[in-house]
Amino acid sequence: MRRRAVRLAAGVAIALAMLPPLFPLYWMVISSLKGPEELQRVPPTWFPADPSLGAFGEVFEAVPFAGAFLNSLLIAGVSTLSVLVTSVMAGYVFAKYRFRGREVLFWGVVATMFLPPVVTLVPLYWLVSSMGLADSYLGVMLPWLANAFGIFLMRQFIADIPDELIDAARIDGAGELRILWRVVTPLLMPAVVSLAIFAFVFYWNNFIWPLSILQDDSKFPVVLALTQLLSYSTSVQYQNVVMAGALIAAVPTILVFLLAQRVFVQSVSRTGVKG
Amino acid sequence: MTAGTTTLAARPQAGRLGSGRGRAALAFLSPAMLVIGLFTAVPIALTFWISLHEWSMYTPLGDMEWRGLGNYSDLLKNQDFFQALGNTAIYVALVLVVTVPLSLALGMLLYFPRVAGKGVARAVLFSTYVVPTVAIAIVWGALYAPDYGPFAQVFAALGLPDPTWLSAPDTALVSLVIFHLWQMIGYYTILVIAGLTQIPGDLYEAARIDGAGFWRQTWNVTLPLLRRTTTFIALVAVINAIQVFDPVYILTQGGPAESTSVLSFAIQRAAFQHGLAGQASAMAFSLLVILLALGGLFLAAMRRRS
Amino acid sequence: MKTKSVIAAGAVLALAVAGCGSSGGGGGGEGAGQTISFLTHWGPDQVKALKAAAAAFEKSNPGISVDIRAVPFGNLLSTLRTQGASPNGPTIASVYDLWLPELVKDGLAAPAPADVAKELSGNWPANLVEGVTKQGAPRGYPNEVDLYALNYNKKLFAEAGVAEPPKTWDELVATAAKLTKRDGGKVTQQGFGVITSWPAGVVHPWLSLVNSNGGALLDGGTPKLDDPKVKAATDLYARLVKEGSTQPPMSNANANTTGPYLDNFVNGKTGMIIMANWWQSSLKDAMGDRYQDVAVAPIPTGPGGTGPASVSYSWLTVVNGKAAPARQEAAWKFLTYLNGSTSGKNGSSAMGDILTSMGILPSRTGDLKAHEAQLSDPFLAAYVKELANAKPFPAVLGGEAMSQAVQKHLENVVFGKETPEQAMSAAQQEVADILTKASK
Repeated sequence: MRRRAVRLAAGVAIALAMLPPLFPLYWMVISSLKGPEELQRVPPTWFPADPSLGAFGEVFEAVPFAGAFLNSLLIAGVSTLSVLVTSVMAGYVFAKYRFRGREVLFWGVVATMFLPPVVTLVPLYWLVSSMGLADSYLGVMLPWLANAFGIFLMRQFIADIPDELIDAARIDGAGELRILWRVVTPLLMPAVVSLAIFAFVFYWNNFIWPLSILQDDSKFPVVLALTQLLSYSTSVQYQNVVMAGALIAAVPTILVFLLAQRVFVQSVSRTGVKG
Repeated sequence: MTAGTTTLAARPQAGRLGSGRGRAALAFLSPAMLVIGLFTAVPIALTFWISLHEWSMYTPLGDMEWRGLGNYSDLLKNQDFFQALGNTAIYVALVLVVTVPLSLALGMLLYFPRVAGKGVARAVLFSTYVVPTVAIAIVWGALYAPDYGPFAQVFAALGLPDPTWLSAPDTALVSLVIFHLWQMIGYYTILVIAGLTQIPGDLYEAARIDGAGFWRQTWNVTLPLLRRTTTFIALVAVINAIQVFDPVYILTQGGPAESTSVLSFAIQRAAFQHGLAGQASAMAFSLLVILLALGGLFLAAMRRRS
Repeated sequence: MKTKSVIAAGAVLALAVAGCGSSGGGGGGEGAGQTISFLTHWGPDQVKALKAAAAAFEKSNPGISVDIRAVPFGNLLSTLRTQGASPNGPTIASVYDLWLPELVKDGLAAPAPADVAKELSGNWPANLVEGVTKQGAPRGYPNEVDLYALNYNKKLFAEAGVAEPPKTWDELVATAAKLTKRDGGKVTQQGFGVITSWPAGVVHPWLSLVNSNGGALLDGGTPKLDDPKVKAATDLYARLVKEGSTQPPMSNANANTTGPYLDNFVNGKTGMIIMANWWQSSLKDAMGDRYQDVAVAPIPTGPGGTGPASVSYSWLTVVNGKAAPARQEAAWKFLTYLNGSTSGKNGSSAMGDILTSMGILPSRTGDLKAHEAQLSDPFLAAYVKELANAKPFPAVLGGEAMSQAVQKHLENVVFGKETPEQAMSAAQQEVADILTKASK
């Protein structure tokens, strides 16, 4: 009886906790369904008076949205994969190896996160463009193929994996790559998945770097294409279109999340050393 | 663990650079270090170099005017810099104080109970983080409209006075913090959930056998074992709060009356609008030094405790 | 052994990366053809028109190809700073005249060749050519011109029983009071709206009042913020706020130039506001049928002034002085075509057609004539009439920083954090410092 009451209370708490995230999202959805005049109306309408899906079609005409979508998939997809690989490898070393200067190197890497990226934009642009990579997909991706956040996250999670598991594998004669791939990574899936999701969202929504390094609008990612619509004389006209475009842009990440979150299940009793 | 300890070769799991396992370490580490070294560390070093110069960015990097430490001494006299520093400190403190307990609570709420729809709830919470800022910031601007916006209407319906939100110097910074928390809390909650999956279930079983209720389990099992995750979240929350730029840029441009001018915005404004890249870099570097000092103190305190 | 495969994989990756780099990162061609790029902040419709003009130009000028690159308005200056000095930087850029002195100083705005200079002096109003002339040579083609005027809501005027828009500051204060409606203690309709959180939106309308009071922001290179004629406009703001005719919480603007200030005006909650002509399209989009309630009048004249004197600013297209000479030559050729009478319809230039499609005033004399019918629309006509009296916003080195210092102190007055005296004397000091530092 008591357990059911607890469950009910938890259900109610979850439902209540969903209100704050949902309301602005609801407002965004209805904004994409309103016309420019209704969007600017005071007081605003809580339900669109004349809902229209027109903005969702218009976004494909106003900017090269479909192409931008594919660009974003390419840029975010490749960068995310790379970040996963580099972060797991480096995080493993920082968590499980001992060598002179490890702490200094690790905290040095973490410290690079403290500087707002906008500060280093110009030197970075100078660096990448002098490598001949201006206006190329590679130029967009290269500086972000590894990042301190991912390494830090992986180190925190790998450090919690018992050393005994790794030692046991070593005694069985497994090589380092095999240990990383077969022993460490499977235990790390929730962390890997959360890193993958965060990295994907970061690259998907990254704005200032693609803006700086890309020139040809056929290579623009989605966010850059949408921002194009917010020039001073057009921002009223296109506000609903920007909302519609941003909603479409959010769909793939939410889908990826819904699929990937299956790894976030309650851990069944996991004892130290297996087999 | 002290920095730069010598190798404990006797321990079996201790790799050593140069040995077979050391070569593996080198191979694992180098891709990340190469990218970070070249594309993060080098630009940071260049930023320091720029902070010793006057530079509009319209000329090549090699063509800057030397100022020595002049940009740094100018900062000491610069009221706007200290205002931005103060705004940033308030912003970061508010974000930190709310983020850590709230994400822990939400994470536990969306992990432990066996309730239908948990997955959907997580997705909803997370989706706030996914929607591009350029668009959702406009939505929040509309929500915050004083007098007639939806929030104002709700407050009026409840008989409460309407906070002026983004439209007055006293409330604008807090309003931006609320937006920031709304956007980011799902992200931290997912991290908490990922951390919770690492805690072996039999620890709870054991605690239950000992007669521990929910609160004692939380206090004795969950929180201690989530320590690394919590540290990570706290640090990343601080970093994200320091770097907040897009919402400030889109919604307030540092106003009204400079009340939301945080450092990353002030830096961007000095560099890109005023063409004072040297001064902007000096601000950025001062920020870095302050943070490293605070970080060092924090680490020292942690070490003393453990 | 596993280690080796990792290293090998790394090497393959590195090679692949290098390979992609050399194939993907092309760009500057050396051969016969010239590729020039045109950086603009316009919206998608205008970019389409610009691309069409570029295509027409390419047809008659084989060997030159023109790439149009559009960035969001808010990112134009940062893009220019990031890419300007680089060999991959834009050859032509659309710039705000306030940025010009710095671009000239750093060699990014090339002097126009003699034939372009002649073209300019023959076909553009002299004061505009003067505005883009720095260090003895014009630096580009002026195109978009904007200025400020009093916008008011005729319906609210009728409701309040006011027949005429205010011509003087006293009338402005009285009219604003009449237009202000209260519900209990709460103001539900403000008589006169100001704008905050947006540098130009704060400073330009205020400076229009200053100019119309016989004052000026600068005298040569010296700030005049402590001049009584300047301070009087700040006093006017403080008085309007104190009397409740101006409501600070209704003033906010965001980076997309929307927000409460716009919402309140288009929804009849602001009686009067001083704004620039370019927002006509925003008003039309946001108001629909109610747009007919909007009317335009000259800036009210202050006690020290002789008549309305608005603030104007302009946009121009410059050619990157760091580009190769052949590229620069091709760029001027394209600009001459774009701004010439053959590229548009009915004797207008293509540029004139693009600008008027946005409801923006073109500056070439022939363009104004070709678009006479459209510019006789009552809204635009009222602005065109004031153009002769408008004073250009002073484009000096450090102009952006100066503008933002003034903005900060005006907002302090609007929000009651400083008295007009404190605000103006602090602004005077800061602006003086900024200008000295910038002109070093």
